[in-house]
Amino acid sequence: MELFKPEIGLVFWMFVVVVILVMLLGKYAWPGIIKGLEERADLIDKGVEYAQQAKENLDNAQAEAQKLLDQAKREQTEILREADRLKAQMIEEARGAAAAEAKKVTEQAQLAIDQARKQAELQFRDEVSAFALSIAEKVMRANLSTDDAQARLVDKLIDEVEHKN
Amino acid sequence: MIRKLIHNIGLIAVVLTALAFPTALRADEAEAVDAKGIIFEHLGDHYGWEVPFMHETYVPLPVIVRDAEGSWHCFSSRRLEHGASYDGFHIAHGGDNNGKVVGTDATGAEYRPLDLSITKNVAALIIAALLVAWAATSVLRWYRRNPMKAPRGVRGSMEVIVEMIYFDVIRSNLGSQAKRFAPYLLTVFFLIFFMNLLGLIVIFPGGANLTGNLAVTLTLALCTFVLTNVTKSKHYWKEIFWPDVPIWLKCPIPIMQAIEVFGVFTKPAALTVRLFANMMGGHMIVIVLTLLIFIFGAFGAAVTGLTTVFSVAFSLFMVTLDLLVSFIQAFVFTMLSTLFISMAHPDESHEHHAAAEAA
Repeated sequence: MELFKPEIGLVFWMFVVVVILVMLLGKYAWPGIIKGLEERADLIDKGVEYAQQAKENLDNAQAEAQKLLDQAKREQTEILREADRLKAQMIEEARGAAAAEAKKVTEQAQLAIDQARKQAELQFRDEVSAFALSIAEKVMRANLSTDDAQARLVDKLIDEVEHKN
Repeated sequence: MIRKLIHNIGLIAVVLTALAFPTALRADEAEAVDAKGIIFEHLGDHYGWEVPFMHETYVPLPVIVRDAEGSWHCFSSRRLEHGASYDGFHIAHGGDNNGKVVGTDATGAEYRPLDLSITKNVAALIIAALLVAWAATSVLRWYRRNPMKAPRGVRGSMEVIVEMIYFDVIRSNLGSQAKRFAPYLLTVFFLIFFMNLLGLIVIFPGGANLTGNLAVTLTLALCTFVLTNVTKSKHYWKEIFWPDVPIWLKCPIPIMQAIEVFGVFTKPAALTVRLFANMMGGHMIVIVLTLLIFIFGAFGAAVTGLTTVFSVAFSLFMVTLDLLVSFIQAFVFTMLSTLFISMAHPDESHEHHAAAEAA
């Protein structure tokens, strides 16, 4: 039966074709295709890895940002509290300083008043003594004729002094 | 969609029934259809390529023969058409060399010359090889033009198959040896696959029953056989001539050795016959189904029409199945070749692993 008897011609050509095809494709085509496939697989792997890394980084960044935000908030309250404290302190200090100043001013005023009063007293005494002396002089000078006249004189002098003051 | 398909099938059946009438008449005249002759004509080889739909017209192909004296003759197959004789050669009818070129020597006796003609099968083989080369290089060209981009369409499917064969079959079995044997295995896969598919096409670029030809599958199996056995692996030969079995199985009477040596030769035989029988069987069934129409033509129009519908439906089913078988058989051949080679060329890293496990 023809079908079960391999033809030498076909065997020969088949062998030739297979050898040539294996050599040609084995040298030029298959390694290139396999290399291309592997390179692309690597690229995709790297891409996935990169994406994962990026996602992780993003997650981390969010956490980081949250942390920073929290810290900032904490610092803010801290600063506010500090400012509050400082304000109170400053008010307190200012109040103290103002009180001290006021006291000093009062004291100085008191001193000035005292001095003025002393001066006035001194002046008054001088004036009184001067008046007394002048009165006495005038009394001495006027002849002490009548008691009546003398008394009127004294009254007049005293009125003068009162008027002066 | 399905309704349309049914409608189309019905239409085809009606047309074929109509076509069957004259045939039926002719069949009556010619008494019986020579089914066996037609089947073997379709499965066999020719010196010319039949022009589609013109049964008696052939595209001539070169005939290359060496005569008894050892000189070569090369001429067109047209010169041998219709029983003509050229340069002392003619095509034999009947006998052992039916359909082959035979020469007549000085004494007038017929002899079979060394025949390296480019027959229909050889031409189809060359077409299939060119298609494989074109398909493979087109993927490569795509890579050159668009590096790091996945090809689409035919190139994409080519790439998917290469990936499947190389990564899932070759590399997972051969490991570090994969790069060494991949060219052969990939080429063989695509050559078988393309030859199978071309065999399913009835007209010109196809129509040759290549993988259903023992010469083709035998050559492929022999290539695998050579690659398997030309090895320096001590392990492989030890496994054959001194396998790891109880001593009485191998010492006085070499039972195991006989079995192992037998196994060395059954492997390529299995490869040869599996591919051959599958593909030839598929072709044969389709031809027989078609022939049934003509055989039943003798029983009148009604029977013929009914047979036609059944035959066409079953032929359609068989060809669709053969499409699947084309891929499966190419895949199985490649996978078994890979397995045989990997058994003979154990992966060094695997071996170390096995040794470590044993220890």
